[in-house]
Amino acid sequence: MRNYIRKRILIMIPEFFLITLISFFLYSLMGDPFAELRASPYIDQNYVSQLIKSFGFDKPVYIRYFMWLSQILRGNFGISAVTGEKVIDLIKRAMPITLSINIFTFTFSLVIGVLIGYVSALKQYSFIDNFFTIISYIGLAMPSFWLSLMLMILFSVKLHILPPGGWMTPGMESAPILARFLDRLKYIIMPFIVLGFGGLTGWVRYTRSSVLEMLRKDYVRTARAKGLPENKVLWKHVFRNSLNPIATLFFLSLPGFFSGSAIIEQIFSIPGMGSLIIGAVMNNDYMVAMASLIFYSSLLLLSLLLADIAYALLDPRIRFS
Amino acid sequence: MEEQIVVEKVSERSTTYWSEVRRRLLKNKLATVSLILLILMYAIVIVGPLLYRVDPNYINLQEVLQPPSKIHPLGTDENGRDELARLLYGGRVSLLISLSVTLLSGLIGVFIGILAAYKKGWVDIALMRLNEIMMAIPEFPILVVAAKIKIVPSSIMKLIIILVVFGWLGIARLTRGEALSVSEEQFVEAAKAIGASNMRIIIRHILPNTFHIFIVWATLRLGGVILSEAALSFFGLGVQPPTASWGNMLMNAQTYIWTAQWLVLWPGLMIFVTVLLFNFLGDGLRNAMDPKFFK
Repeated sequence: MRNYIRKRILIMIPEFFLITLISFFLYSLMGDPFAELRASPYIDQNYVSQLIKSFGFDKPVYIRYFMWLSQILRGNFGISAVTGEKVIDLIKRAMPITLSINIFTFTFSLVIGVLIGYVSALKQYSFIDNFFTIISYIGLAMPSFWLSLMLMILFSVKLHILPPGGWMTPGMESAPILARFLDRLKYIIMPFIVLGFGGLTGWVRYTRSSVLEMLRKDYVRTARAKGLPENKVLWKHVFRNSLNPIATLFFLSLPGFFSGSAIIEQIFSIPGMGSLIIGAVMNNDYMVAMASLIFYSSLLLLSLLLADIAYALLDPRIRFS
Repeated sequence: MEEQIVVEKVSERSTTYWSEVRRRLLKNKLATVSLILLILMYAIVIVGPLLYRVDPNYINLQEVLQPPSKIHPLGTDENGRDELARLLYGGRVSLLISLSVTLLSGLIGVFIGILAAYKKGWVDIALMRLNEIMMAIPEFPILVVAAKIKIVPSSIMKLIIILVVFGWLGIARLTRGEALSVSEEQFVEAAKAIGASNMRIIIRHILPNTFHIFIVWATLRLGGVILSEAALSFFGLGVQPPTASWGNMLMNAQTYIWTAQWLVLWPGLMIFVTVLLFNFLGDGLRNAMDPKFFK
């Protein structure tokens, strides 16, 4: 087991560097971030070339890569070209917002989704099962941005009960905590519905198929044949074993905590990580975009590792082979 | 000595794998209906503009944001362009992109998957590591970045290239897995024993036996690409105006949710229904092709 983990971690190191390499060169193809400044007749060109030099853009791309990499490894993510703030500060501000939305919706959809999936599988082709099968087909095919717009039309345009986007009513910053909470609730309902719906249907599908597979196993038949009480069979043999793939998927979806809501944030104008990274890419804000991408990629690698370890821990056949 | 000829009559027509799959698929009502509706959908976007002769890019500032009426069955958009015409032409673009991306990335993925499985050794390791690394790059941000790079002048071509470059990962893994298990089969061993060339084994044995994986993947992917196209176009990074696609029609529409809700409804509904039908068909195909369910 220890060897297995050690090997997995060692593989991650070259993978990480390759990811930085690929993303850096992709970003360098994106265009010259100083093109506008250079073309502007109102800006002193000496100043522009000074700026270019201070960002290291006078050097060829591969040297820039190593310069950037060494800065990253020292924890220096640079300065935003648009706002002039430190990238790390921008991330620190956006992160709690994204986390608060995602942890909330993720926990909800995971718990409810696994429960529904379990019941659906045990009562295959019953009303509940058919109902949620239809719902999960709908959830899979529904473009989240369209659902968001339709909800906005329903709740904001027609019914006038929810704000169409944003994160806080202006002037609420110093309100008492309960009022602030209720205010926040109004903004979070629609993103919650959209994200929760998508997540929920996914968990229902995975759990259902995993439990159905377990129900067909020989050891379940054996357990029943030797007269074990049904709830013991279901709990010990079916449910617990069916959680293995669910646990793997859980770890694999961890990066979603930080990025899963990118499109939704953009639509509801929530100032989280998704808005930060998409905005940075749109505005050629090099440093911010690169830092966020590296951040996500590392998270993804890390969760792949956790998923593999969890899988090995839960399944002795992998651990001992 | 007299020879006796025994004639054995074959009472039933022999069934092949694919005829059996067809029979099983047609027994699945949901999948059959989806298939028919999808064919209908393609027919409508191909033939529709020939019958409904309205220029989708004709700007008429006298008829801006009109609700559905007799002249404009689905209303008009912010430039007074006819929504129905744009929906038909947009459908052509969206379906064309999904078809070409799926076929191209599928071809590349199947090729790489089989290559990795058949060559084994360092070829396999290198290809699968590349695959893993590309999977570890978060999809949407990298698509957004890629969409900003100026490769080719046509935004449709560019979208196709981007989605193909990041689209072969899944099918390559699936094909590799299946090809690995097929190449262990005895008929492959037998083919090797009688001296068949690698090329022949791959084309005659491995490819046909991994093909069902590709079919199911492609059907589901046809819907998935429509969603990706729409998401990128929705953020202004996909198909560029004035060319309509279902995605960029939605992008324009989001500004007008207060005044012209019909602009939001139709393109989104088309995306939703098309993806839904592809998923129904894909799942039907998966069940029809799975030998586990053969009786």
